[in-house]
Amino acid sequence: MSYGMLFNWARPSIYIPTLIGGPTFQLLFFAALGSYATDRSPAYFAIGNAVQVSALAGVFGMTMAIANERWFGTLPALLASPADRAALFAGRFLPFLLNGLLVSLYAFVLGVVFLGVRLEPAGIAAAGLALLATVFSCTAIGSLQGAISLRLRDGLFGANLIMMGVLLFCGVNVPVEELPGWMQVISNALPFTHGLAAIRQAADGAGLSQVGGLIAIEVLIGIVYALLAFGLFSFLERSARRNATLDVR
Amino acid sequence: MSATRTVRLVWFVTWFNVRMLLASEFFILTTFITPLIFASLAFLLFESGGRQGGQTLMYVALGTGMMGVWSTTLFGCGGAIAWQRWEGTLELLVNAPSRYDFILAGQTMGAVVLGFYGIVATLVWGVVLFGMPLEATFPLILPLSLFAAVVSLGSLGMLIATTFVLYRHANALGNLLEYPIWLIAGLLVPIATLPVWVRPLSWLLAPTWGMEAIRGAATGTEPPLLAIAMCFGLAVVYYVLARVMLVVVLDKARRDATLALQ
Repeated sequence: MSYGMLFNWARPSIYIPTLIGGPTFQLLFFAALGSYATDRSPAYFAIGNAVQVSALAGVFGMTMAIANERWFGTLPALLASPADRAALFAGRFLPFLLNGLLVSLYAFVLGVVFLGVRLEPAGIAAAGLALLATVFSCTAIGSLQGAISLRLRDGLFGANLIMMGVLLFCGVNVPVEELPGWMQVISNALPFTHGLAAIRQAADGAGLSQVGGLIAIEVLIGIVYALLAFGLFSFLERSARRNATLDVR
Repeated sequence: MSATRTVRLVWFVTWFNVRMLLASEFFILTTFITPLIFASLAFLLFESGGRQGGQTLMYVALGTGMMGVWSTTLFGCGGAIAWQRWEGTLELLVNAPSRYDFILAGQTMGAVVLGFYGIVATLVWGVVLFGMPLEATFPLILPLSLFAAVVSLGSLGMLIATTFVLYRHANALGNLLEYPIWLIAGLLVPIATLPVWVRPLSWLLAPTWGMEAIRGAATGTEPPLLAIAMCFGLAVVYYVLARVMLVVVLDKARRDATLALQ
């Protein structure tokens, strides 16, 4: 229910241009730009961006799912209820995780059909697991942004910054090892970096034994962001009750 | 309405809209931050491909700057009429003695002028962080190129404003049309590398010629006179089309009594 009510894009007239059309052109743009600017194949950029577009659902979706409670005036009623907060959070989390996977899988199909993406059969299972882990950690950072947005005038500002940060820092288009040192430090703390590296290796045929470590790090990063989000949400709830700012915009 | 009053009206609305957009966090992001992030990404990409010369850096800085201009135009103009509806000012503006198309022209010009900050920002970014040399081969033509680009994008913005209003979710169209225009207008990838069937589409777009005019003046070997002429020519075509669309849209809204409906 939270997905349908709180996610502004959950209607075909917005969903199709934003979550189908947008990723399609993003893939084509970066495949063309990347292969022109460097010697890498379009498939390299197609894989990176096919994973990155899951953030449209994960980051923007989770931001809306949490922050819109306040904007739609339902936050006080929600927080007055005795519902378990962890269950509330998880209930918001799952639809966006599935949505992110769907958007990413669509983009992969596009990459396979038009941009020369090839997945070695031996690595498909590992690639699938790495994608799931990456979308999970992406949704987790989205939930943190959602919690932060409870205090902001425009939560989507931060969501946009995260989207662009991922494009820049996480090896989506420029390999992490080619970034300046200080950027690599940031990369390693962000979702996507390890998951995407695992997906790239699995696409070349690496099995779970080879990329398991990267997937585990990605999941761990996701858990840390999810816990931070839940902690911040709980803190802001207590703070809002204490200061009577639950409904202040 | 005299020409002086018309210019004054357009100028006033342009300036007013710049100030309105500056109060929006979304436009702060689109105009001030996004071009710098894309510039960094593009600088790193070209560097990764072993292309770090001054000409390449200038090419990237101007291209990513124009990407910001397009985004601001797209989002700033796409929702222009819809915002007036939400704010409850559309009926008043349409029924005011001043012609509404001049008001809309000022509004779209405001978005474009704000967007052009992106080019300044990416140039400064390139100089400061990547050591880009700041020089132009035709410095006297550059202001004319910039003016031609602003005028053509402003007119295109009017066309966008009058057509997007027919779609209830103009922002979703904005999300859809950001990347494809960046691509087919040749802002970072030369049009010559795209499939042949894409090129006629590129020629119809103001960003293509605006970019050509600015790049030609900054790094070209010949003055970009054709591109400048195309900017002005397209501006006239866009304006005429926008005016026709505006008459149709407003007439329909009046007939259906939906002018103020969201």
